[in-house]
Amino acid sequence: MPETDHAVVRAVLAGDKEAYGALVRVHSAAVFRVAFRIAGNEADAEEIVQDTFLRGYQRLAGFEFRSGFGTWIYRIAVNCALNRVQQTDPEAAYRPGEEDDPEQKLVQVAATGADPERLLLSQEISSARAIAVKRLTATERTAFILRHMEDRSTTEIAEILGIAPNAAKQAVFRAVQKLRRELAPLRGNA
Amino acid sequence: MKHLTEEQLIATFYGEEADGGPSPDAMAAHLGACRECGARYAELQQDLERVRPEPVPTRAADYGDQVWQRLSPTLTPHKRPQPRWHRWFQFRVLLITAACAALTALAFVGGRFWERHFTKPPQIAGGATPQSTQRVVLVVLTDHLDRTERLLVALNHADASDAVENSQLQSEARELLASNRLYRTTASEVGDPALSRTLDRVEGVLAEVANNPNLTSADLARLRDQMNTEGILFEIRVLLSRTPESTTGLNRPKGASI
Repeated sequence: MPETDHAVVRAVLAGDKEAYGALVRVHSAAVFRVAFRIAGNEADAEEIVQDTFLRGYQRLAGFEFRSGFGTWIYRIAVNCALNRVQQTDPEAAYRPGEEDDPEQKLVQVAATGADPERLLLSQEISSARAIAVKRLTATERTAFILRHMEDRSTTEIAEILGIAPNAAKQAVFRAVQKLRRELAPLRGNA
Repeated sequence: MKHLTEEQLIATFYGEEADGGPSPDAMAAHLGACRECGARYAELQQDLERVRPEPVPTRAADYGDQVWQRLSPTLTPHKRPQPRWHRWFQFRVLLITAACAALTALAFVGGRFWERHFTKPPQIAGGATPQSTQRVVLVVLTDHLDRTERLLVALNHADASDAVENSQLQSEARELLASNRLYRTTASEVGDPALSRTLDRVEGVLAEVANNPNLTSADLARLRDQMNTEGILFEIRVLLSRTPESTTGLNRPKGASI
């Protein structure tokens, strides 16, 4: 696949704009997934996908063919997502939702039952988790999301974030430690 | 074995090796044997389980197409990169063109500078040197004086009864009159009084001959006496003797120094 991607990239750089569509079709799902993980909502994730592929096209001349196009565009997607998260109001992005306000952006845990007490507890956990994630630095948050949710290796995280592998590992450790401290009060409720 | 640190527990959770610590297998074995570390690891698992990934909303099968449809109109095709030799060729052409332009400009400016500072303006139109120009003028003037001399000689020996001869004299006088006026004016402008005076007297005789329709023997005698054609003839011969060949050399003006 990387070889195929490289051939397509060469075609695009030679002036075949339509060839870029093949790359978009192959990698858009992965880009959407990581965009959603970082942004936390579909609308922003959609914008991030568009922005990612646009930036990718504009910077394609700088693609060095050493890594796969997927890894390269994934890195751009992470950066685009981080930029968008930093631009938007984090309080609004992770605020616990009101039931009568459908416009508010919610980070919710899927309820397994209709029990109101359980639903309330789920919302409380979700809110605490969102706040805990918000308090991480951008690097810690991204490293944790890539490791814990995207199941990326330390080496991949380092490459995506442009840092040393050991720094990536430390970022994940610090993120987990901070999250555990933030979520410690909820341990008895689980 | 010591109890595992939090970092080592986290590394175990993600299946990685902690920096400078025991191997993953050794850590797993310790967790099975040590109740305290096992409890701490269970707590870590519980905490991280709470931060489980959100389910990602599913996208349609043609999601990639949708993204491309929205993106495509905003993109402009990349320019095809030119081969290195082509760029080098273009650079050389540009360099040669610039060098030619610079040389042309330099030659133009240099020429203007040279003309302004090292070249004397030509004294006579046509670009000839003053010496050669003077030679041309002297040759023409000598010819004029020769013709005038012949006319005066003919006039001194003219027969009033010969109408044909008189007509030829008048015709010749008319032709010489115009050129004589020009030479006289020039001689007075350049400051040659001898030549100017002689040509002035010649002009009077020529005007009398040219403007008299019927020359009689009395007219001819009056002209010879009043105008002293013999004296004029002598002055012309003196002027003709000022030729380079007959005096000091080639550079000596013949007749006059106009």
